[in-house]
Amino acid sequence: MATRAGALSYLAWRALVAHPLRRLFRRRGTGLERFRAAYVAEGLGPTTPEDRAIGEAASACVACGLCELGCELAVAAPAVRALGLHAAFRLYSRSVAELPLATSALAACAGCDGCDALCPTGVPISRIVRHLRAKVLGEGAAPAQGDRG
Amino acid sequence: MVSPRAVAADVLVVGGGMAGAIAALAAREAGARVVLARRAPGATALSSGAIGVAPDPLALPGEPLRAAREPLEAARRLARLRPDHPYAVLGERLGALPEALAFAARVLAPLLAPPLERPRFLATPFGTAVPAALCQRSQAAGDLLAVDGALVVAGLRGHLGLDAALAAAGLERYRARGGPRAFAVEVDPGLGEVGLFRPHELARALEPPGAAEALGRAIRAALPAGAGAALVPPVLGLRPEARVPERVAAAAGIPVAELLADVPSVPGVRLQAALEAALAAAGVEVVQGALQGAGPGKPAMVGADEITAPRWVLATGRFVGGGVVRRGTLREPVLGLPVQAAEGREAGVDLAARPAASLTGAARSGPQPLLSAGLRVDALLRPLDGRGRPAADGLFAAGAVLGGHEQASDGTGLGVAILTGYLAGRAAARPGGGE
Ligand SMILES: Cc1cc2nc3c(=O)[nH]c(=O)nc-3n(C[C@H](O)[C@H](O)[C@H](O)COP(=O)(O)OP(=O)(O)OC[C@H]3O[C@@H](n4cnc5c(N)ncnc54)[C@H](O)[C@@H]3O)c2cc1C
Ligand code: SF4
Ligand code: SF4
Repeated sequence: MATRAGALSYLAWRALVAHPLRRLFRRRGTGLERFRAAYVAEGLGPTTPEDRAIGEAASACVACGLCELGCELAVAAPAVRALGLHAAFRLYSRSVAELPLATSALAACAGCDGCDALCPTGVPISRIVRHLRAKVLGEGAAPAQGDRG
Repeated sequence: MVSPRAVAADVLVVGGGMAGAIAALAAREAGARVVLARRAPGATALSSGAIGVAPDPLALPGEPLRAAREPLEAARRLARLRPDHPYAVLGERLGALPEALAFAARVLAPLLAPPLERPRFLATPFGTAVPAALCQRSQAAGDLLAVDGALVVAGLRGHLGLDAALAAAGLERYRARGGPRAFAVEVDPGLGEVGLFRPHELARALEPPGAAEALGRAIRAALPAGAGAALVPPVLGLRPEARVPERVAAAAGIPVAELLADVPSVPGVRLQAALEAALAAAGVEVVQGALQGAGPGKPAMVGADEITAPRWVLATGRFVGGGVVRRGTLREPVLGLPVQAAEGREAGVDLAARPAASLTGAARSGPQPLLSAGLRVDALLRPLDGRGRPAADGLFAAGAVLGGHEQASDGTGLGVAILTGYLAGRAAARPGGGE
């Protein structure tokens, strides 16, 4: 009973006091800025049209694993072995909140483009990896070499 | 940036899987100048690496080992039951099957074992037997009708892809029908600390000198008395020239064979590599990239190359290779040829124009129009337009892009690719193109 009353009074406090006060004093800014302020801390960044295009391109993946044959890192780096780069975008390209789990695999990508020509279904792998990498490491984090935009 | 380059050839093959490679090799052998354009590996690299030609349609499900009819006879039976199947569409030309298989066995000789009169019965990791008209040398010793003694299924420690006990228990079921006794053992491939391996990694790790030999010795140490052959997971090397299967067998002191592979398939990658080696050896020019063009006689672009050839073989595969795509409806993306689907007695372009999702059925064993959708061709393998006439002069098609067979599951995929590739390649090599 006490907990119920406590919960209700908390909600009432939020609705009648905290929220109106926050509205009164909140930072001004564009819709995007306000969205970021509210949600990025929880790992829920906004989905840009580019994100959507990347998600669509990634959805052509049939999980065959052939691209890993051309990726020297998938053989060498333990983080990439455990989670091949194709697995990184298959699992996380559409789940922004979980993308950070793939950070070490994405960070290992050398941008060598060895993977693209191996994909039967034509997934633009290196472009997707570059995009996810920039997203998770911060904008502009380009791979070491071979970045052809 | 490479500067544009104009290339002229007699035959342009689009697609580098089994169908395209065999077409290019057959046209080359007939004296044509051949260019092959390919975007990426396709279904061929994902196959088990063993070549299914025609499962005997009259075989009883529980008695696969009895269906030991030679491939042509089995294909003829299948053709009578399935009028849309490429084997049926070819009519008389189906008779070229033994010649086409012999051609494939010859051009891929280092990789493929010589064919027998009957199919070989090869074991899957699930303990079932599958007939194969042609198979890799690394698979041949596992033929269930030829093992002399007990068959030992050797699981490799650190490899997650095989439950040896499950496979052996499954194979035991064939004992009453002429199969061997089957045991399971576990061996340590001796690859050190690294804990778990994916198939490709294991295959690569076995290539360096000493590694295959160590595995062979470990198998030898684990063999029970009376063992006639050992079956191992399909991980015996990625590159054919590393000769891992031969080295393992020599050190084991008994015939060693790979089980058939699921995806990701090491033997499939090996088959694709052997096709590429054969193309290079035969002097076929291979260009890498997606081809765009308007058909035979007109220039086609592949990357920076402009290729012109009076005759084309379209061997672009099905959904995996990219020869048929789903964009709302089913489409053939290179030339825009009509795609046909058949459902019961109904067949045609209209069916293929339906939403793709409506072309699958709930009954797994029933026909799946979506999975057999593809180009319709005449007996000369010329793609037909919506009115049933050849769509373009000098145009042929081969392999999984042809409709009428469920290429990934009906047991005829690579057989159709070899036969139609061989016939289309030879037809395209002749200036008249055809008869
Ligand atoms: C998972 C799986 C397992 C299978 N297992 C077996 C088996 O064990 N035994 C068996 O007999 N069959 C099997 N099959 C069927 C068999 O693999 C296929 O039927 C056969 O490989 C088809 O060969 P293909 O050459 O016609 O097509 P593919 O091998 O798919 O080749 C198509 C080629 O065309 C290229 N291409 C497409 N469009 C273009 C373009 N615009 N420009 C340039 N190139 C282009 C592709 O990049 C590719 O190189 C299996 C199929 C699958 C999917
Ligand atoms: S571009 Fe990145 S993912 Fe692709 S092969 Fe190179 S290192 Fe691997
Ligand atoms: S090769 Fe292409 S389809 Fe296969 S796993 Fe890699 S991205 Fe996916």
